[in-house]
Amino acid sequence: MGISGEMRSPSRRRLLWQFLGSMRLAVNLLVLLAVASIIGTVLRQQESYSSYAFRFGEFWFQVYRDLGVYNVYRTLWYMGIVGFLVFSTATCITRNTPRMLKEILEFPVRQREGAIRAQEHFLELHSALPVPALQERLLSLLRGYGYRPRTEIRDGLCYVAARKGKFNRIGYFLTHLAIITICGAALYNADVPVRWAEWMGTLVPETNFDLPLPKIPHSAWMPLHNLAYRGSVTLPEGDTADVVFESAGDGYLVQKLPFRIHLKSFHIKYYSTGMPRDFVSDVVLYGPQGQVLKSGLVRVNHPMSYDGTEIYQSSFSDGGSLLRMRSFLLGLPAMAAGKLVGKVGQTLKAGSSGYSVSLKNFKMTNVVPWSSVDGHAHPGSPVINLGPSFIYVVHTPQGGAGEFKTYMLPIHRDGQSFYVQGFRATRGAPYTYVAIPNGPHGGISLFVDYLAALQQALNGGANPTPAVLTQVFQQVAEVAAPTMPPEKQALFVRDSMLAMTQMHDYPAPFILRLSSFHHRWAASLQVTKWPGTIVIYWGCVALVLGIFILFYLPQKKVWAELREDPEGGSRLLLGGSADRNKLEFSRTFEFWQKNLTDATEIH
Amino acid sequence: MANSRAEIWAPELPYASRTWRDTITRSAPWAIALTAATAFIVFQYGAQFGIWKYTVLICWYLALLVAGSLWRSIQWAVPAVVIPALAAVWMYSAGQTPENSWILRYFLQGLAAVLWMGGLLLLATAAYVLHVLMKNETVGRWATRLTWAGTLMGFIGLGVRWRETYIGHPSWGHIPVSNLWEVFVLFCASTSLFYLYYEQRYRARALGAFVMPLVASAVGFLLWLTFAQHMDRIEPLIPALQSFWMKLHVPMMFVGYANFTVASLVGLAYLLTKRSAVRGGTLSKMMPAPEIMDDVMYKAIAFGFLFFTTATILGAVWAAKAWGGFWSWDPKETWALIVWLNYAGYLHARVVKGWRGTNMAWWSFMSIWVVTFCFLGVNLFLSGLHSYGKL
Repeated sequence: MGISGEMRSPSRRRLLWQFLGSMRLAVNLLVLLAVASIIGTVLRQQESYSSYAFRFGEFWFQVYRDLGVYNVYRTLWYMGIVGFLVFSTATCITRNTPRMLKEILEFPVRQREGAIRAQEHFLELHSALPVPALQERLLSLLRGYGYRPRTEIRDGLCYVAARKGKFNRIGYFLTHLAIITICGAALYNADVPVRWAEWMGTLVPETNFDLPLPKIPHSAWMPLHNLAYRGSVTLPEGDTADVVFESAGDGYLVQKLPFRIHLKSFHIKYYSTGMPRDFVSDVVLYGPQGQVLKSGLVRVNHPMSYDGTEIYQSSFSDGGSLLRMRSFLLGLPAMAAGKLVGKVGQTLKAGSSGYSVSLKNFKMTNVVPWSSVDGHAHPGSPVINLGPSFIYVVHTPQGGAGEFKTYMLPIHRDGQSFYVQGFRATRGAPYTYVAIPNGPHGGISLFVDYLAALQQALNGGANPTPAVLTQVFQQVAEVAAPTMPPEKQALFVRDSMLAMTQMHDYPAPFILRLSSFHHRWAASLQVTKWPGTIVIYWGCVALVLGIFILFYLPQKKVWAELREDPEGGSRLLLGGSADRNKLEFSRTFEFWQKNLTDATEIH
Repeated sequence: MANSRAEIWAPELPYASRTWRDTITRSAPWAIALTAATAFIVFQYGAQFGIWKYTVLICWYLALLVAGSLWRSIQWAVPAVVIPALAAVWMYSAGQTPENSWILRYFLQGLAAVLWMGGLLLLATAAYVLHVLMKNETVGRWATRLTWAGTLMGFIGLGVRWRETYIGHPSWGHIPVSNLWEVFVLFCASTSLFYLYYEQRYRARALGAFVMPLVASAVGFLLWLTFAQHMDRIEPLIPALQSFWMKLHVPMMFVGYANFTVASLVGLAYLLTKRSAVRGGTLSKMMPAPEIMDDVMYKAIAFGFLFFTTATILGAVWAAKAWGGFWSWDPKETWALIVWLNYAGYLHARVVKGWRGTNMAWWSFMSIWVVTFCFLGVNLFLSGLHSYGKL
């Protein structure tokens, strides 16, 4: 047992060694990696956990989360496949290096007859020419094809050998080393120590996105002298920051920067069509003592670099614009519209009602396709400008919430103008859009009054017949819009009915409309520190160069042995092989055979 | 291996295996002409050039020099594209427009030239199919000529359109590879061009009956984009695309796509020919020998792989400049990786394991689904950073 165990263990090790460097494993790993990569393209990666939970339901959400499907390329199993591929490639290189180096450095002119015959292409012929003449013929033929043949005479035999593409094997080293280098540098850039700390539990991503900076627990802070990071920070115009945030799972980590970034201003340049042409942040970098380190513009495709870190224009949002709004209470007749003022990001109390309103996400322009508003194609004017928009969330006293999106500019359809208001009761669900008709003086107060009057009438026992609907509207219009022509009134009633049906599930008792605003941008800047970058560049150069050498500088070897024939003339053995472009080489070899045979026949 | 096709191929041999020195001596006139043209550009416009424009110029100079030396048809094809395109540019600068000049309206305007390309390539496809069905050499010669004409019109169209993007709004100007319509023109023209190379190099005209139908369906899609989606309209570039990297990244990508497409359809030709031979059909009489088709597949994939790798790397470098990361696992990037892994697997199996024959033809043929999904499917079905390619 002891002996057989000793006998078997090295062979097992060798088997493993062979398996790791084997081509079959490499091809299978390449295909496996390709298939595994598909997952992350089918499902959008790194969205919020709540939106995944909404889509899959609680059970499947947890299963997929445990499999790491929401961030496939950072899971241990995916990294494991990549790591295994790199390991297998490294084994392959280690195993092949001595043999290939020997092959590059050594090229014997003399070759045994058996070895010449064993080449992929082989010919044997008898020539009337004496050995020196046939040798000269062969040498000039090979030279004509760009070979530099060498000759050696030993024991009355004449040997000729030539090869091309001696450095073809370099291509093998370059490509495979490049893969290892690129993967290694990418792992380095992916900040392995931080991932490790995260995995060990010494670094814990914070999941509360509303915490002020000083209150973020220390366990979510990455070290100041972190080797590599890629985080971003959203800065309102005029603000300064010295940290960036890196997303991790469903939370984030904080990275302290060696400088402070101050955003002087942000602006968007537009083409004449209204399409954005450029996003530009004007920033200043300050040192710890307040000295100016660098200042300038950060634009898309034009990052700013400072001392190994790069600052990119990544996105933009609202930086706390001042909004002035009017609020319309639904169902209370003849109430003047209330006024509300607040900054984006603030939460306002709606009087003493117990309702509160959070203002979010002001957007300057909304140029959208017509089809997304009403589902119809409008040839000639495919897009419509809905003007500025903002989103507000209403929290009810009972603890419920609804989210609303409101556009400032009206749309026009069949001579009637409408305000578009979107609402949804659940975050992540699609908005329901309602088109509220405007009265002849603009604004939605006519609609709100009509709605209130109708509710009152219906509560008073009236039936919602068309006659009643029209009659109630006429009463309202007499006060609010006495000059409105009857056909307009009919249209208005029809459109109001439509809007009221759409508002069936409206989750708040009031509507907010934007009346004016003072805009303030915020720019999202991404800050990265990737010392592995230069290594990746060189790895890429090596990869491309290696592929070129492998496919376009193939190695071709030719060996010949000439000897005097005792019966007169001479005999030639010629063998050759190529490791790429074999078809071409076989044609060449056929041509050589013809050429050399012709030479024999002429004499 | 003394069959008739091998003999047709054999006279090509000394040319095929000639040395670098021969190649250089033979293409001296081409090199001189190209150098003169480049020198003219540098002296005429060099004052406005930055380092990137010089980079692009040098890349084009070297690419055309090498291409013209290895494939002599390039030597007349380049002037055949450049001269009409420059003529159109001159006509525009002389104040002519498609409205008042019938030459521009019907021939040289970007859209007109592209429609010519589409028509000619459709005719060429029909001619290739007829060539194989009727076993008629004359029809075959016309098929090749029509393909050449269509390819040249496609490149003329792209060249003129490049100028047209500047007309009326100079800030919009860009190389016409920025939306689905433009890259489809590039795809049709470059696939045809590389197909012509393999046809000429291997004297394998019957392959056209398999390669060109795919180009024809791409033309069909292009016509649908033109007339139903009006995607031929010139639009300005979104900020992320305003980079000189686009001039290198996208054209190189299409060298890859074109070669992969040719390889996969030659794979189909291989499979059908084998099948026909087994069943005693006559298809194999017209088709090149299986080992030649096998070699075309391998050559096209190796060449495509070199360019696809380079283009993907350039894309990653561009992403690093524009978005701050080489690799964001965006669907397009991931699918490019999948295509790369697929062909890396193919090349390992073919070169190292020495696999040949039907299995490799299947691999090559089935890869077209992966390539098509990367090229088109990602833009149609998935969202991500490359979403400007959307319909």
